[in-house]
Amino acid sequence: MGKKEILEGLRDATVEGDVDKVVSFAKKAIAEGIDAYEAIMEGCAAGMNIVSEKYEKGEMFVPEILCSAEAMYAAIGVLKPYLKAERVETPKKIVLGVVRGDIHDIGKNLVKIMMEAAGFQVIDLGRDVPNEQFVEAVMREQADICGMSALMTTSMIAMPEIISELKKKAPKTITMVGGGPLSEELARAYGADGYAKDAAAAVRVAKELLIKRGGA
Amino acid sequence: MIDRMKPGERLAAVLMGQKPDRVPVIPFILGFAAKIVGVPIGDLYTDPKKSFRAQLLCAEMYGYDSSPMYAYASFGAWEFGGKVGFPYEPGQSAPYVIEEPVKSEEDVDKLEVPDPKTAGSIPIMMEIARQCYAIGLPAVFQCGEVLTTAANIAGPGRLLVWMKRKPELVHKLNKKIEEFFVACAEYFVSTFGADKCMAFGGGPVESNKLISPNQFGEFVYPYMLRVHRKVLEMGVQIILEHPCADQNKNLPWYRKLREECGWKGKYIWVFGPETPLENQISLFGDHDVIMGNVDPPSFQFKSFEEILLLCKDNIERGMKNPSGYILGVGCEMPPYAIPINVYAMIKASREYGSYI
Repeated sequence: MGKKEILEGLRDATVEGDVDKVVSFAKKAIAEGIDAYEAIMEGCAAGMNIVSEKYEKGEMFVPEILCSAEAMYAAIGVLKPYLKAERVETPKKIVLGVVRGDIHDIGKNLVKIMMEAAGFQVIDLGRDVPNEQFVEAVMREQADICGMSALMTTSMIAMPEIISELKKKAPKTITMVGGGPLSEELARAYGADGYAKDAAAAVRVAKELLIKRGGA
Repeated sequence: MIDRMKPGERLAAVLMGQKPDRVPVIPFILGFAAKIVGVPIGDLYTDPKKSFRAQLLCAEMYGYDSSPMYAYASFGAWEFGGKVGFPYEPGQSAPYVIEEPVKSEEDVDKLEVPDPKTAGSIPIMMEIARQCYAIGLPAVFQCGEVLTTAANIAGPGRLLVWMKRKPELVHKLNKKIEEFFVACAEYFVSTFGADKCMAFGGGPVESNKLISPNQFGEFVYPYMLRVHRKVLEMGVQIILEHPCADQNKNLPWYRKLREECGWKGKYIWVFGPETPLENQISLFGDHDVIMGNVDPPSFQFKSFEEILLLCKDNIERGMKNPSGYILGVGCEMPPYAIPINVYAMIKASREYGSYI
């Protein structure tokens, strides 16, 4: 089996969410001497890009995304020990969490999956995260982006407080918000740099904002 | 205009297919009522007396047309043996799941259908229903939705993956939930009589933000149809159905549900703001009441004048429904809504929603 077929196999098995198949292709990639970084980016990440596009078009839904993510992580588990240090680019860092009082984390988890597939390093703070933890994590990690999620109108009010603190303490950090009750209009009112209506859009918006900031 | 009907009369007129004095207003208020009467939001979900009083006084103060009820989106986890927390901390607005009763595939088999008389929040729901019944208001019970309840019981991430990898487990779980909802309906109907009851169903996991219309057809529809058929067969006449968030792709299923139930009873549809009123009217307008779906977060950050305009637009479009219209909100009124914005709904009804 040639390199092209293996990379396509990794890509397609990721889209299908087929864990056994993707692991088998990952092992073949190693056996054939394919660079592990290339296998991840051209195989699994390419597959997740397709998943992301299909989700935006309403052709795939969350159950499929979660299965694709399982497949991607399984393949990465096989490939990671073979990554060569010099081939790994310094990834952009995003601190991600669901704000205080809110435990609804499906949206945040989807953003995490899509961001990781797109090559970001995600520092996942989890759910019901106090404001100070966002600010501390951004400063400690020198994060490029801080992503905040909320599903409730009562919890989203923490966002402007976090954004305001970040503007003071880490002014270069890009702030992004998302979640059920949020909108472009509300994101602007909260002083956020970006708003994403879903996980697929989050990656696109993050990349655009990084280019705008001059650090992509 | 001056009101010529009382809230109960206005709503009854719409449900009987008659014209009221003006458009009724049901602002889907729960947590907001707690803020109005000065008790913690958590009390709305733990103390039936305080909950009833807060909801009743809030409705009386504003003059809107809904009656107290008890329902929450995380329903199911506590009832089936898990643990929930109540909204007493900053940022919280409703009960939330602390521990799901189903954590493994084996747990699905072990899961027992609880007795509605003692299960989780049902005694609180029953007590509020009793107080409503005592003053002639409908006794509301929750009977859906199945998949949202399954997600609360098994955890949403686990359930959504099972839908792809272990669909038989999801069906097994849904069957138990269906059985529980029917038992709940029987409990309320036998206590108050079917004509005094109103069923409520709704949930966000059915939304097309999460699942496809085909998945709705496989994992939601058959259970929903059986529950609704049984509830209607018991003689319950009114079902308040809230397909939460964006469910535009599921609309054909909801229409099919009504057709397969023979358009029995009267449904009050409360779709999210994502679903245009015109689409709802074309699907359900010959039989059912449409409740308007003004964007909920707007009540928290927009001005009184802006809300008034949003309500005016909703009223002008909704009044075209031949089977009746209620001005409402596309999901729960934000507990931190600006108080005057709730009044904007009443004012809009009086100014733009007159039938006289």
